[in-house]
Amino acid sequence: MQRRVAVPMGVLAVVLMGSTPIMSSRSRVAAQTRAAASAAPAFQADPFWPKPLPNHWILGSVTGVAVDARDHVWIVHRGLDSLNTRTESGLSTTPPTAEDCCLPAPPVLEFDPAGNLVSHWGGPGQGYDWPATPGGIAIDAKGNVWIAAAGWPEPPAPRGGGAGRAGRTGGAAGGAGGAGAAPAPPPPPARPADAHVLKFSPTGQFLQQLGKPGLTESNASKTSFNRPANLEFDAAANEIYIADGYGNRRVVVVDATTGAYKRHWGAYGAAPEDTAPAAYDPAAPAAKQFRAVTCVTLAKDGMVYVCDRGSNRIQVFDKTGKFVKEASVAKATLSNGSVWDITLSIDPQQRYLFVADGQEHQVLIVDRASLQTIGTIGTGGRIPGRFNAVGSVAMDSKGNLYTGETFEGKRVQKFTPGR
Amino acid sequence: MKKLLIGATFLTAIVGLNLTAGALERQAQNTLVEAPRFEVDPMWPKPMPNGWLLAETIGVGIDARDHVWIVHRSDKLSADEAGAAQNPPTASCCRPAPPVLEFDTDGTLLRSWGGPGQGYDWPISNHGIFVDHKGIVWIGGNGGSNGGKGDGQILKFTQDGKFVAQYGSAQQTQQAASNDTTHFGRVAKIFVDPRANEAYVADGYLNKRVAVIDADTGAFKRYWGAYGNKPDDTNMGAYDPDAPLIQQFRSPVHCADLSVDNLVYVCDRPNNRIQVFTREGKFVKEQQIAKRTGGDGSIWDVAFSKDPQQKYLFVADGKNERIYVLVRETLEVLTNFGDGGRQPGQFFAVHSIVTDSKGNIYTTETYEGRRLQKFVYKGIGKVPRTQGVVWPGK
Repeated sequence: MQRRVAVPMGVLAVVLMGSTPIMSSRSRVAAQTRAAASAAPAFQADPFWPKPLPNHWILGSVTGVAVDARDHVWIVHRGLDSLNTRTESGLSTTPPTAEDCCLPAPPVLEFDPAGNLVSHWGGPGQGYDWPATPGGIAIDAKGNVWIAAAGWPEPPAPRGGGAGRAGRTGGAAGGAGGAGAAPAPPPPPARPADAHVLKFSPTGQFLQQLGKPGLTESNASKTSFNRPANLEFDAAANEIYIADGYGNRRVVVVDATTGAYKRHWGAYGAAPEDTAPAAYDPAAPAAKQFRAVTCVTLAKDGMVYVCDRGSNRIQVFDKTGKFVKEASVAKATLSNGSVWDITLSIDPQQRYLFVADGQEHQVLIVDRASLQTIGTIGTGGRIPGRFNAVGSVAMDSKGNLYTGETFEGKRVQKFTPGR
Repeated sequence: MKKLLIGATFLTAIVGLNLTAGALERQAQNTLVEAPRFEVDPMWPKPMPNGWLLAETIGVGIDARDHVWIVHRSDKLSADEAGAAQNPPTASCCRPAPPVLEFDTDGTLLRSWGGPGQGYDWPISNHGIFVDHKGIVWIGGNGGSNGGKGDGQILKFTQDGKFVAQYGSAQQTQQAASNDTTHFGRVAKIFVDPRANEAYVADGYLNKRVAVIDADTGAFKRYWGAYGNKPDDTNMGAYDPDAPLIQQFRSPVHCADLSVDNLVYVCDRPNNRIQVFTREGKFVKEQQIAKRTGGDGSIWDVAFSKDPQQKYLFVADGKNERIYVLVRETLEVLTNFGDGGRQPGQFFAVHSIVTDSKGNIYTTETYEGRRLQKFVYKGIGKVPRTQGVVWPGK
């Protein structure tokens, strides 16, 4: 606690950077003006959470963050497949090129509220298909851990190639250090597209797999998915909501115990189509279909919030899939889009949505009733409180916000409420 | 009888030692040593304006006012990092900061400049920054591809970014020429000796030498290779930790810094060694660190402690992600701090290191590290041999 007392003013400066007048972006200043008027909640980054990992472990691209009933924070990351063995994980090669550092941490990590690593597991095993690339993570009422398999059928796109949330693998790191640079590692062998979700016990014992890699079927499938990006547990109905995904254009609901298919829907509650909409154009009419469905988040009042990332929009439904409303967020955003993941505030009314915008490298604070953006947290950068491709958000029972950064962010950060 | 008992006890002790050799080794590792202590300041520097980001941050220098100067490769941001700089923009944030940035002691960004301009050749890939006793900012460059054209020049600017001089020509054909006295071979770092007004050039990524030039005219004065040998550009192949040490540097020669007692400390990076010379290039001694390190090697940059004798030498190891603290006189490694990762006090390719007049350390990270970090000097104290991250209160 002592260290937190020592730093808050500085941390505040970091978090509120987006509001300072020297920012040239007119949109951000405007957002902060609204924030002042509507008193959006304030947060401080905690630069010393989590505690350092043991064994010279480092994180790859973080694709999912969730909080369990004990306020433990679970993350899933891509591990070695997102690390550069030449520059980043020199202990991963045979023979190793480094003496001391670094190795990828296991893909699933559990931290206690103090930031201590309390369990770690994951990776290929008997009886299931570990994702080519993991997506989001969710914890159900029994503490079981659900992981979406969001990986790509083709070799990952090059850096900056709009590979989406799944991002790039390590390649040559752009010639820094230059001469004598080893050639880029060969691309990984082609694998079938991930088309499944996995369920494990809290200790990492395999329990169930829904869907099978390569069997993507269609948007009408009741047995398979197509690169599902994320998932959410509904305790009231014992159901799992699946954001399906990078390949499909729908939300799918299954029974959390049996895995049995229950229902699905597309944008506006309509049947999802297999034909992808044209590339996003801010000037064009809103697409009738989802582009990339990267989150599905439930509010206590039964509203279902869906990230249509590629369309820069949030669509809201009831639990049966009946369309309620929608809102554009940062409408001019191109490339991956602005709405990557959503979590809700802990007040009884859940007045706020926290939206990870990994294209803009910030978390948006959105008024849930109006769906208007009323504030922002962070901006681009690698120092505490800033982001590189923030793609995951989760909130604990105390109102602490946790973020996961994918691509080259490769961090989990904690933001505590208050100024 | 008594003798026998003593013998038996001794035998037991020996067996016990053998059984617990690993534990003893670990204990030795954790023995506390007296060394300069540091704590990372996670809030330094302050956020930059304009949505500016750092890319590969490839050099750090300090001026007479303890302002921190860095150089980074602003063209290395990915499209999704620098969304505002794309055409059309993909986001309202962010964009590359100019290549040369000056921070005051509070970490506030002051001046910013750099990039191509009239009368000089900005490096294909800038590398290393030094602010000399006259306030001049020196920049090297290690760009180029084998067989193509590359950086053979050093640049000098005023602190406002006004071009002063260029030594060596740009667009050199990429062939090592370590005995050439007209241009350089992809320079990693420059260090100016205020007493003799000479610049020591770590030359470099193509050449395998230290070159010394007149700091005002750029005139070549002398140069040398490993052990003070005449440099030889023969390809010696990859470093092998089990082979005898070679008689030449392996590119890149990554630093050449002069101490107060006129010794030149040279980073022979892929050979995992520091070689020490007189100012004239007479070999004095050497030390390997983390000798089994492959790839980029372990000796990336050095800096001196700020006591009058410069008792300690700090060595950045961007491969094993830590800073070594050495006794300069003996080159004994006392302790190290840091580890891999993206949090404060952790590193991804810690590339450059410098100390200010208060003894604080500043580091920059290349590749995807892309940070400038400050480690506050906390005086001499007891620390373990391996410290891990140096967080406040830890």
